[in-house]
Amino acid sequence: MKFFRSHVLVSVDPECIEQGAYQIVDALNDELVAQGLIDEIQVLETSRLGDPVRFGPDLVVYPENVHYANLTVDDVPFLVEEHFLKGRVVEKFRAKETVITDDELGAPKAKEVRIVLRNCGKIDPHNIEEYIAEDGYQALANALTTSTPEQVIDEVMHSGLRGRGGAGFPAARKWQLCRQVPDNPIYLTCNADEGDPGAFMNRRVLESDPHSVVEGMIIAAYAIGASMGYVYCRAEYPIAVANLNVAIEQAREFGFLGNNIFGTDFSFDLEVRMGAGAFVCGEETALIASIEGRRGEPRPRPPFPAVKGVWGKPTNNNNVETYAVVPQILLHGADWYSAMGTEKSKGTKTFAIAGDVVNTGLIEVPFGLSLREVIFDVGGGIKDGKKFKAIQTGGPMGGCLVEEHLDLPLDYEALTAAGSMMGSGGLIIMDDETCMVDIARFFMEFTQEESCGKCTPCRVGTRRILDILEKICEGKGTLADIDRLELLCEEVMKNSLCGLGQGAPNPVVSTLKHFREEYIAHVIEKRCPAKVCRALINYEIKSPACTGCMVCARNCPVAAITGERRQTHVIDAKTCIRCGICVQVCNFNAVAVLS
Amino acid sequence: MINLTINGKQIEVEDGTTVLNAARQNDIKIPTLCDHPNLTPYGGCRLCVVEVKGMRVPIASCTLPASNGMVIETETDSLKKSRNVILSLLFSERNHFCPFCQVSGGDCELQNASYDEHMTHWPMQPQWTNFPVDTSHPFFILDNNRCILCRRCIRACAEMSGNFTLGVEERGSATIVVADTNVPLGQSTCVSCGSCVQVCPTGALIDRTSAYLGHDKQMTVTRSVCRGCSLGCGIQIHTRDNRIVKITGDYEAENVGTLCKTGRFLSLDEKRTRLTSPMKRVAGQLTATSWDDALTTLAQNLSPLKGNIAALASTRLSVESLSAFKSLFADGLGSDMVTSIEEGRPTALQAKYVDQNGSAIEGKLDTLRTADCVLLIGADLTTTHEVAGFYIKRNMPKGTRLIIVDPHANGMDDLANINLKPKVGTDEAVFNALEAAVIKEGLARTAEKTSNVSLPDALKVCGLSEEDVTDAARMLAEAVAPVIVYGKGITTSSEASVMDAMLRVAKLIGASDSERRGILSVKGEANSLAAAQLGLDEQLEVRHEAVYVAVGDDYVTKRLVEKLEKVPYLVVQASYESALTEHAHLVLPVNIWAEEAGHALNTEGRLQFAEAALTAPEGVRSNLDVLNEVAKQLGVTVNEDWRTALTKRTSVVELEM
Repeated sequence: MKFFRSHVLVSVDPECIEQGAYQIVDALNDELVAQGLIDEIQVLETSRLGDPVRFGPDLVVYPENVHYANLTVDDVPFLVEEHFLKGRVVEKFRAKETVITDDELGAPKAKEVRIVLRNCGKIDPHNIEEYIAEDGYQALANALTTSTPEQVIDEVMHSGLRGRGGAGFPAARKWQLCRQVPDNPIYLTCNADEGDPGAFMNRRVLESDPHSVVEGMIIAAYAIGASMGYVYCRAEYPIAVANLNVAIEQAREFGFLGNNIFGTDFSFDLEVRMGAGAFVCGEETALIASIEGRRGEPRPRPPFPAVKGVWGKPTNNNNVETYAVVPQILLHGADWYSAMGTEKSKGTKTFAIAGDVVNTGLIEVPFGLSLREVIFDVGGGIKDGKKFKAIQTGGPMGGCLVEEHLDLPLDYEALTAAGSMMGSGGLIIMDDETCMVDIARFFMEFTQEESCGKCTPCRVGTRRILDILEKICEGKGTLADIDRLELLCEEVMKNSLCGLGQGAPNPVVSTLKHFREEYIAHVIEKRCPAKVCRALINYEIKSPACTGCMVCARNCPVAAITGERRQTHVIDAKTCIRCGICVQVCNFNAVAVLS
Repeated sequence: MINLTINGKQIEVEDGTTVLNAARQNDIKIPTLCDHPNLTPYGGCRLCVVEVKGMRVPIASCTLPASNGMVIETETDSLKKSRNVILSLLFSERNHFCPFCQVSGGDCELQNASYDEHMTHWPMQPQWTNFPVDTSHPFFILDNNRCILCRRCIRACAEMSGNFTLGVEERGSATIVVADTNVPLGQSTCVSCGSCVQVCPTGALIDRTSAYLGHDKQMTVTRSVCRGCSLGCGIQIHTRDNRIVKITGDYEAENVGTLCKTGRFLSLDEKRTRLTSPMKRVAGQLTATSWDDALTTLAQNLSPLKGNIAALASTRLSVESLSAFKSLFADGLGSDMVTSIEEGRPTALQAKYVDQNGSAIEGKLDTLRTADCVLLIGADLTTTHEVAGFYIKRNMPKGTRLIIVDPHANGMDDLANINLKPKVGTDEAVFNALEAAVIKEGLARTAEKTSNVSLPDALKVCGLSEEDVTDAARMLAEAVAPVIVYGKGITTSSEASVMDAMLRVAKLIGASDSERRGILSVKGEANSLAAAQLGLDEQLEVRHEAVYVAVGDDYVTKRLVEKLEKVPYLVVQASYESALTEHAHLVLPVNIWAEEAGHALNTEGRLQFAEAALTAPEGVRSNLDVLNEVAKQLGVTVNEDWRTALTKRTSVVELEM
């Protein structure tokens, strides 16, 4: 068989033919003969390469995968001399590819490095071949056929990959613990419950690039010796569930799941299990209970799931993102991954930026970026020219960080030391019109609703804490309430059975720490400095700004505004429900919010 | 063994012991609420949290396995503060106003725990949504407003009776204990075993009969044996002022605290009229008389008849009474018709088999604890002998399989893995078919290669399909510890050869061998086995001039009354008025079960002593006394050696005397 060092594929799409593709083929062959390269370079005809209207006549050179467009016969000699004789790519002939951008993600922002999100919006999640074309399942093939499970664990260990679910436990160390348990069968679970309000990183990956998760799971299963895996996906993500099922079915058809994968004696299969609306099922033992068909309540640990998990068997549980990045680590190497990030937090992480910034949405950045960079560079700064007040990291179990923390790096240890946590990656940025007491109340309302009810401190404690916060926001709080708040927070954090209860008081504790004066204002002065808490604010119409146009009076849903035409209007404080419509409709900024 | 330190004390415990139990074993008290020594630990109330050196937060000791080198502190100031807060939170959660509650004042574990922590008031104001009180159940009431969500009732419903009726609905602070899918208890799948009421630490579950009749410390508790059926469950009889207030299960007995509605509730639900004076028929009317007169009348009427007196005794009577009864009428008077009211229906078949074959064939209830497959034939364990059914039901979620053979609808049909409904009266053919199927599938545990029974013939007789029988045979033969449980459905109506057929199957599937006897029959009433051992198991034929019926407190069937109503002279020894006493010529009032101490021989052959807990009313005598007195009147000496009497006949199950 003859070996060529290079292949040139010329598009002989009918439109390209009209533009002279056959002549290009002949000219190439002639020039290669003239240069003595005909035995090294083979010219082939192929179908459409790109849009012929924009690019034709075009060709692509392999193995370097360079796409030359809009060629003429006259270009050929120069092309052959430069590219094939001298080995230089001819930039001026190169096709100007347009970058595909996804509507939701947009083009990568400054400082973003998209690894987990690399395929999102670029490939069809229903077509496994598009994933394969992006080096999909290559890592799996290499791992199964050329590495032992221990070697796979080693590589992931060296990459420094930490669980992306929130706890940040080194992934490979967890795999190793599970692998060492002398029991079988071994199970693998993927936590796709993503319950933090405002977090949708996992959703994006599951919907747009489900195969990255599937491949990552199969590799992890090989590493720990698992024979069956479950993706526990929340029911509120129906598209993710559907796309996962399609992906799993296709992976089976291609032999990446099932018996004797890649002809080895490793067999593994995957199944999707849906959640049913419980945030607590994101806790791994509650997740396991749910998979077993039981009520989603956490179990005491020890025994840990690595030893006794699903149906009492060793189980490894990781987050969607942890699995999704594994194939990339094996493809590019542990060193490539650990070169990114900080000393203890390696690689990149997806974050969902929400709140009062210009650019909200998903980003993926290497660890080590400072909060300031995230908020002001990547996030585009605070919206509407307002001032930064606080940033909540880690979701409802996290704490808030303030001005003095802005130069902290995004790093597991740094955030925890500052009184917050990395969590699953939700970042909520708040401007100076946010009431921190109201924020604490908002998060506590969430965790109270989601508490499973098994243990007393979380079940009743969060209820009592919420009662106090509601009382304070209604202007009925006392200083004794704040003392009681602190006591309850401490006891709930200490004595709760699982992470939900242990973390639920965090927003309260951190807002009390950094914004105690706001709590005091609510309690003693019955004033909400941020002018948010309805019971503590008043709307007043200012003169001379008010022109008496009566627009506000007409729009008030409770008819609280009275006034004659051309006279300063008056809002009756007792009737007013503080909906803010009058502020919105007033064209003269005459309505002031006071507290 | 594990070595650990608690509060500075070095202790050693078995592998697998929890820190809480390690403390208990060493007289270190850790407060608990959701924990119960006979239920799997839950870890929810958090009252038992302890500080473990090296762990970030306090850990619940009830679910923490002790490990070597652990250093535990249970009495730090921080823990005491936490306990206070946890109890305060509980008090604030629902309606815990004590004055209205039947357990307040010593029987409420929540109240007791807070007194132990020296609490004097509620630091947090209570605030709760009112839950409706469920009063639909005949024996108890569920008041969710007093519930602390310890889940003991749910665990008891699962682990004691295996009924799984109770569960929780909603989550967080809206969690509520419900029956089935939140239906009123009285309309649910509840079987009224009362396990939930027994374990509830607060006043959330209110026993209708005993509520407000006194605290536990005001009652006398007598350990005794239930006379409801042949299982002989251990009970605790709580009495006050010579009245039974409630009956609870004995955790130290074989049934480990579990009872059924018959033993716990129905025995207190007595509507019959008590007999308190001897009565004799004068001019067609039953009139009260003295004991002297009654006994004299008896001697006058019965002495001339000598052996021409048929005699029947209830198997609820004690072993002592039954033995005296037999000694008096069969041995002393030489009567040819001395039997029990059960007429041997639950026991004669297997007793005769053992007479011929010489050795015991049945095992103990304990085999059901480890059985991974049960063949239940000729018994509906949801109507009688319920606790035996509980043993099976509570293990099914752990993988125990159930095969039911019953031509009629059986209460456990919905639970069974395989349901065989053969033609009525074809049990022998069913066993033959199973035997043939086991051998055909090559699954025999013994060396059997061929069977003398033909599968097609057997199937034709019993009307079952080959597929079903083969499935059942496979399930039984592949089980590691199969057990066959049989009852009156087999023993009442089958030929003796059905026992051979059953034993052959038992051997083939490995249920019965030299090490293990995986065969049980539930028999009938409290002393059915004792009656069988004494030979009181013949069918009644009345051709006698007089009949003596020692009914005791047993119920009287229409069938029995019909058999006896024409008897020329009928003497009845009973506790209650009945259709039988109405036909009697002489009525002698006797103790009920709780008034007379005596032995009971349960279905497993275990001899248990049942204490009396009540004093009988004036004018009433004990069954044993009356029989002895009758013997004296008729010039017969009663042999008091009932122990020897019991062991004369080979028993179907090894006797534990």
